[in-house]
Amino acid sequence: MANEILEEQIGGEYKYGFVTDIEADNAPKGLNEDIIRFISKKKNEPEWMLEYRMKAFRYWLTLEEPLWAHVSYEKPNFQDIIYYSAPKPKVQLNSLDEVDPELLKTFEKLGISIEEQKRLSGVESRIAVDIVMDSVSVKTTFKETLSEKGIIFCSFGEAVQEHPELIKKYMGSVVPYTDNFYAALNSAVFTDGSFCYIPKGVRCPMELSTYFRINASGTGQFERTLIIADADAYVSYLEGCTAPMRDENQLHAAVVEIVTHKNAEVKYSTVQNWYPGDKNGKGGIFNFVTKRGICLEDNSKISWTQVETGSAVTWKYPSVILKGDNSVGEFYSVAVTNNYQQADTGTKMMHLGKNTRSTIISKGISAGFSNNSYRGLVRIAKGASNARNFSQCDSLLMGDKCGAHTFPYIEIKDKSAIVEHEATTSKIGEDQLFYCKSRGIDNEKAIGLIVNGYCKEVLNKLPMEFAVEAQKLLAVSLEGSVG
Amino acid sequence: METVAKISTTENILKFIEGSVVPSWMGSSQKQLALDAFKTNGIPNRKSEEYKYVNMEVALKGSFSFSSSNKIPDQQIENAKYLKDAIVIVVENGNYKKEHSQTSLFPKGLTILNITEGSSTGVFQEHFAKYAAVNSDPFIALNSALAIGGVFVHVAKSAVIEAPIHIIHLTSVSDNTILNSRNLIVVEENAQVTIVESYETIQSSAISFANALTEVVVSENAMVDHYKIQDEGDSGSMVSTTQVIQKMKSNFSTHTFSLSGSLVRNNLTIVLDGEYVETQLNGLYITNGNQVVDNHTLVDHRKPNCNSSELYKGIIEDKSSATFNGKIYVRKDAQKTNAFQSNKNILLSDDGTINTKPQLEIYADDVKCSHGTSTGKLDEDKIFYLRARGISEASAKKLLMHAFASEVVDTVKIEVLKQYIEANISKRFE
Repeated sequence: MANEILEEQIGGEYKYGFVTDIEADNAPKGLNEDIIRFISKKKNEPEWMLEYRMKAFRYWLTLEEPLWAHVSYEKPNFQDIIYYSAPKPKVQLNSLDEVDPELLKTFEKLGISIEEQKRLSGVESRIAVDIVMDSVSVKTTFKETLSEKGIIFCSFGEAVQEHPELIKKYMGSVVPYTDNFYAALNSAVFTDGSFCYIPKGVRCPMELSTYFRINASGTGQFERTLIIADADAYVSYLEGCTAPMRDENQLHAAVVEIVTHKNAEVKYSTVQNWYPGDKNGKGGIFNFVTKRGICLEDNSKISWTQVETGSAVTWKYPSVILKGDNSVGEFYSVAVTNNYQQADTGTKMMHLGKNTRSTIISKGISAGFSNNSYRGLVRIAKGASNARNFSQCDSLLMGDKCGAHTFPYIEIKDKSAIVEHEATTSKIGEDQLFYCKSRGIDNEKAIGLIVNGYCKEVLNKLPMEFAVEAQKLLAVSLEGSVG
Repeated sequence: METVAKISTTENILKFIEGSVVPSWMGSSQKQLALDAFKTNGIPNRKSEEYKYVNMEVALKGSFSFSSSNKIPDQQIENAKYLKDAIVIVVENGNYKKEHSQTSLFPKGLTILNITEGSSTGVFQEHFAKYAAVNSDPFIALNSALAIGGVFVHVAKSAVIEAPIHIIHLTSVSDNTILNSRNLIVVEENAQVTIVESYETIQSSAISFANALTEVVVSENAMVDHYKIQDEGDSGSMVSTTQVIQKMKSNFSTHTFSLSGSLVRNNLTIVLDGEYVETQLNGLYITNGNQVVDNHTLVDHRKPNCNSSELYKGIIEDKSSATFNGKIYVRKDAQKTNAFQSNKNILLSDDGTINTKPQLEIYADDVKCSHGTSTGKLDEDKIFYLRARGISEASAKKLLMHAFASEVVDTVKIEVLKQYIEANISKRFE
């Protein structure tokens, strides 16, 4: 019985696996200095940007791929990837009517209706969306409304042209190109992404969102996101992603940087749903991402919330550097792996300032033949007095062929620090299932109920629009995986 | 300017191994394997994940000899015999010392031999070097290539040994020395035994680096209570490897007390290779000065229905640094496993460091595994409570530290040993 339900669920389709037939403008395959010049030229970049890319590329050449994560996969061939792919025609779009109807259809299918957004623009609750397809940003909505408040929300490429002083100042200040293998690669070949600047004292009136879509075959997606919250500013930022079903493994290596000034707060939420590969582990996205924020000044706050259900291999550690005094870092995560998916994800909390606080709540769920690891670091530097950290990492196992692992690192150099960490691993309790079933709730629904309850602490942190999607995703990924 | 060619410790050691005599109990092919393994890995540096928090390259810099002929004064040997009614075995500079050890009148079923003598027995050959794999750790390789002596303990089927066996390791060196000693403890079915290994170094200006390896075999239904008391002073460093294999329905508990030593690294691996096994791991480390203590434990659940529980506690003072790295590994077949792990630390100084890495690696679903770790200071509220009752701040702190340590000290089942440890801790808090 249990197996049947499991089979049925595992056989469940990835519903975002379609391909949009849009003519694309591709760079030739391969990676060398000419390709980087090609990308830079395509984007009409100033000289200093090209120099930055070149420095990163030359540094990248000296690096080796990191192997420490608890994942195994066939190394991507970096010469077999298309580093630039843009849907044609690339013209400056002024209104939605100019958008390629195929593109609009794509986003209809993804559940992001741009038309809908337009119609709802008078309503209080709404989201401004920046859509990135393959290598370029396709459309940013609500730009005008935002600019009235002085908020800059545009594609990264645009920001390089229009706000070079901000890019020069902040880009690479949190994740330098020397940070790691994939950050160096991204710094060399990144194509587009989102840029967001919230000026002093402004509370962003709507959720900002970027939607990433890999469409073209044989491409890699390397986007960069930079969010800056100036003093007393606030923004809630959402990120979503999908990709077509393909037999090949496509590489996604993004960099996200967040900077908060005095009293500022950034809330970053991700629902990651890249194509995870088929049930035999064929295909799927390699998701090797560097995400890091810095609480640069006092009393600032950065909060990461992530729901990770997609990708064949995930390698992602959204981190916070707590530099300002009284700053706060948060990490809430639900990571679900099924079939042959592998996830090695967690966070780093670096306490440098006084009275800094961090909270880590991580919920891992593994099913099928998958492996799911939490890997995290809490470092209390000398002089970071009265630092406080609480971490909780729970794992749920469904079936006896998967693995759940916890690798926390805790390094403390200050005597006034209080650091706690706890972790548990278990399966869904038979008694909980029995309780539900004896009340006429069938097996699948009962599991959905229990899993949602188990993840509630994290799901509660998601903005409304995302929470609904995340709950549905969880149900699709997991229902009936145990019995 | 001098232009002396720098020879790394690894090269130095390799040269020595190649020229060294193979002990009869080791066998030249075994030594060759160990040598090859050591050649591949060498002395681990801080880039090695397992030795990230302890700088072995610095601890083993310069040239070392591999034996010491220093004699330890009788009085000092007598002082080390602090366990009343124990069966005492003395190992001096890595060599079994007949004249100071009990050699006869053993209880029925107990055999204790110099490892050289023991090597001719069938039991020895069946178990020796079968559990500590030379590829798994460079110090196991080094020990396997260079061990000079040690003790072989055998407890026959159904023998219940009442008196604890106290194996006293004493070290005295005049030059920088690495001493590799090797012990094998085999406890047969239904047998019971208590073993205390204590390590002391006579203070000197030279560095003594003990690389001790003990393999313990706990057969079906056997019960072993194991203690390790490390009191190496300021000049003694050690890597202490304990490799345990437990068979069905056996019970093994181990207690590690790291009281002093300039650098102490414990590698404790317990393999639960049978159903219904019970395992307890307890540890206490109290560090000060520039001391470095690094406890690595691995509990490898291979079969179903086993229980393991682990408790390590530490108090860190001055510029010392303490590391706890514990892993619970539950294999695919080990359903119905219950595994618990807890690590608690108190940091008393601004210059101290605590690194902790409790890990769970789990491949079976019907299990209950958890770990917890906390690090903090002494509770201000508790200090206030005591002070409000007329207890001075200093005494209140002492009292709280005692209470903190007592959770581990209370697991000691030998009353005399408990008193000895308590006295030692009291001295430290003065």
